[in-house]
Amino acid sequence: MKSLFARAALATTTAVMLFAGVAINAEARIAGTSGTVVGTTQTFNLVTSADYITTPDGGTVTIWGYGEVGKPMQYPGPTLKVRAGYTVVINLTNGLPNLPGTSAPMPVSMIFPGQTGVAATGGSAGVLTQESSGPANVVTYTFVAGQPGTYMYNSGTRPGLQVEMGLVGALIVYPATENPNAPTKAYDLADSAFDQEYMFLMTEMDPKIHQLVEFGLINQVNNTVSHATLWFLNGRNGPDTMFPDFAPWLNHQPYSALPRMHPGEKLLMRVIGGGREQHPFHTHGNNYTVIARDGRPLKSSASTTIDLGYSDYTLDSTPGTTQDAIFTWTGVNLGWDMFGHVPGDGSSCTPDAEGLHSVATDANYKEPCADHTKPLPVVMPENASLAFGGFWRGSPFIGSLGSLPPGEGGLNLNGGVVFIWHSHTEKELANNDLYPGGILTMLIIEPHGVLIP
Amino acid sequence: MNSIKTKSSSAALLLLLLGASGGAGAVPFTQCPGDDFIKLADGTLVPGNDAVPDQYLPNPISNLPDPTLPNPKFRPEVKCMHLSAGDGFVNMADGYPQYMFGFSDLSGTDTTKAMVNGLLGAEFPAPTIVLEQGQQFYLDLTNVGMANRPDLSDPHTVHFHGFPQAMDTFDGVPDNSVSITMGSSLPYFYNVVEPGTYMYHCHVEATEHMQMGMLGNLYVHAAQDKSVAGAPVCAGSTYNHVAGQRYAYNDCDGTTRYDVEVPLQLASFDSRFHDASMNVQPLPFAAMKDNYPMINGRGYPDTVNTGILPAPVDADGLLTNAHAERPLGKPSQKINALVTASVGQRVLLRLSNLSVTNHYTVRVLGLPMQVIGRGAREARGPSGTNLYYQTSHVSMAPGEGVDVIVDTAGKTPGTYYLYTTNLNFLSNNTEDFGGMMTEIVLNP
Ligand SMILES: [Cu+2]
Repeated sequence: MKSLFARAALATTTAVMLFAGVAINAEARIAGTSGTVVGTTQTFNLVTSADYITTPDGGTVTIWGYGEVGKPMQYPGPTLKVRAGYTVVINLTNGLPNLPGTSAPMPVSMIFPGQTGVAATGGSAGVLTQESSGPANVVTYTFVAGQPGTYMYNSGTRPGLQVEMGLVGALIVYPATENPNAPTKAYDLADSAFDQEYMFLMTEMDPKIHQLVEFGLINQVNNTVSHATLWFLNGRNGPDTMFPDFAPWLNHQPYSALPRMHPGEKLLMRVIGGGREQHPFHTHGNNYTVIARDGRPLKSSASTTIDLGYSDYTLDSTPGTTQDAIFTWTGVNLGWDMFGHVPGDGSSCTPDAEGLHSVATDANYKEPCADHTKPLPVVMPENASLAFGGFWRGSPFIGSLGSLPPGEGGLNLNGGVVFIWHSHTEKELANNDLYPGGILTMLIIEPHGVLIP
Repeated sequence: MNSIKTKSSSAALLLLLLGASGGAGAVPFTQCPGDDFIKLADGTLVPGNDAVPDQYLPNPISNLPDPTLPNPKFRPEVKCMHLSAGDGFVNMADGYPQYMFGFSDLSGTDTTKAMVNGLLGAEFPAPTIVLEQGQQFYLDLTNVGMANRPDLSDPHTVHFHGFPQAMDTFDGVPDNSVSITMGSSLPYFYNVVEPGTYMYHCHVEATEHMQMGMLGNLYVHAAQDKSVAGAPVCAGSTYNHVAGQRYAYNDCDGTTRYDVEVPLQLASFDSRFHDASMNVQPLPFAAMKDNYPMINGRGYPDTVNTGILPAPVDADGLLTNAHAERPLGKPSQKINALVTASVGQRVLLRLSNLSVTNHYTVRVLGLPMQVIGRGAREARGPSGTNLYYQTSHVSMAPGEGVDVIVDTAGKTPGTYYLYTTNLNFLSNNTEDFGGMMTEIVLNP
């Protein structure tokens, strides 16, 4: 039946995207905004508005989103990247359309779980916080960014409806010593260091609720019978998750969810439960180690290391919580040479303390030396017996592109090792009734030498 | 079951049996080092392959394995398995014969007969894979096609869920690797170096093939089991090995030791989805809602039936898993979920959840549970800090695996229950008592 990315057009666009990713966003791993920085104050001007997002099954969904003033509203809201100890000032106005038969929109607001001492001024009084009741009604939230970590923000006004509608985003607090645009560690702890950094914010939507809102029938929304049929990673459904940041055809869904790394690197996963359901995120390729929950390292009070971290293969993300995990991969102990080296081919493997090839300028940098020149233990069947994935290299070996029948493969330009990362509640791998989709993306482990921005 | 009639008699089925609709490699083959002979029922060896390594060559006169004739290609660390992937039927606990996709174990049978032996052979759960740390696991998968869905030509794969430091080549994900078409076989290779509780499933059209039942238990025994009796279980340890003692992990201190191990895999079917598949109707992905919760492929009370459930029979009295070459059908539910131990024993429960829809929480009523591992790792921090904890329940998301020790020391003999605390899943569709429950029988 259907295979993922079988459509040629999509294949082409995705291939383009892999190149585009090299050019775009060359200084920051996680796309987002630091606002206007003056001294130790970061100021963000946000406005809520209504617009449409697109789904890969060809549909559109009305959403409410946060956006930076002067830029498109977006789902999820702008990722706010701040430094610990800095004063964060957020000015929010409400650009939602007026409620049917009234001259004002439903009020909106922002709450910041995990932050303390949040002062809300201006606007109008709401239940959880001050709210903005219209374009001229500015509410200002001010707090000193607390401890480093991964956090979220969302509307504090009728959140059951408004978060479903799209009013949710990420807040990342970097250690005071770290540059948020070139960070090297998540916490003030050496074992939170990373080479690559990605966000995985998981949400879901029930399109029927969005239709009721679009048609002005908000009073008919019943959250107790909601039934999600769309599942999102960073505001996109698979396979759109793999397009680059700020892909122009995803105007209101700017954030990619395509992790890339090199063998031996540490990849920081910032996992955020932004919606109302649990989503078990399964990392093919290897276990990860959870290092923090809700912006607090998993350590005992006396320890200077993350001594309470733990390894697992499926990270269950719970609504309203965040988890940080570090994933790494070397392919150690495969029992065969992942490069396909054969004795006498001139290749070499000089092990470092971890047994990995130590010459950084070699294509096989970080190769597990114990398996060097060990042959592939089985013979792969002839092509006529096989079906091929779009990300298949055509070869068992990393960095080596094999010959594939016309129209097959084509998405793995550098011969990387590719693993699917997805919700293991597999019904969430569909967009409405169409498989594949939902909370699904690929990790690409690129050969050393391939530039990852 | 008054007469032996087969449900599937379509032309497509005949074509499948004849191999005419298979891929280019119409004769399945397996790649098992040291497998040069087929062992017949009388113990004699004939040239061929059955996915079992042959330690000894046949005696030229008796054709029996001859210990004086070691097979030079035999390596003791090699473990082989030959699975088929296709369709079939299983019994729901309320008697409903459920159409499904699944695997069956063809190891030990002539690999050239894989199509006939595997056709309509789907089992639920899939055959359990038990490995030893240090083994090299050669797994071959033959796609025998879907006898009841001649319109489908789906490939299949095996995904070894949780395998550490994996390579995409053998990860079984069709989108970034290869999958095997009807009538052909695909080899997988795994160098098994990490003990623990894993699981396996097909990853083709994952929502569909997994909802349809291509799910199984998989776990790896720890090398520490092979410690020398009376000697420390690892260098520097003060815990001395006792002969026969086994361990969930290489713990170095005996804290994961157990006497009895039972894998318990949670899963659930949405019969409307399965029926739609059987009837070639549009598949209800968005409306998916499971109504048959199970442990190890059975709803209670089938979970505690220690027998192999009989081959499913449909409403017309027809054997659902029979075909021309196998007129008596084939049982498709071979394992159960009953836990049996004696007072004082430590029971290792290898829990996993492979539902495609639901988180499940399970409780053991009346016996203590200690979580000693998750994600195929002992529950220890990066520097060895012990993270074990006592509990009365374990919650698992789909795709999670948790290792639990139940210590029965000092407990009263009797029958204890392990069941989901998501109480609406204590049902077999409209039967409102059953579902995701089993028993722990504690003998004196
Ligand atoms: Cu399959």
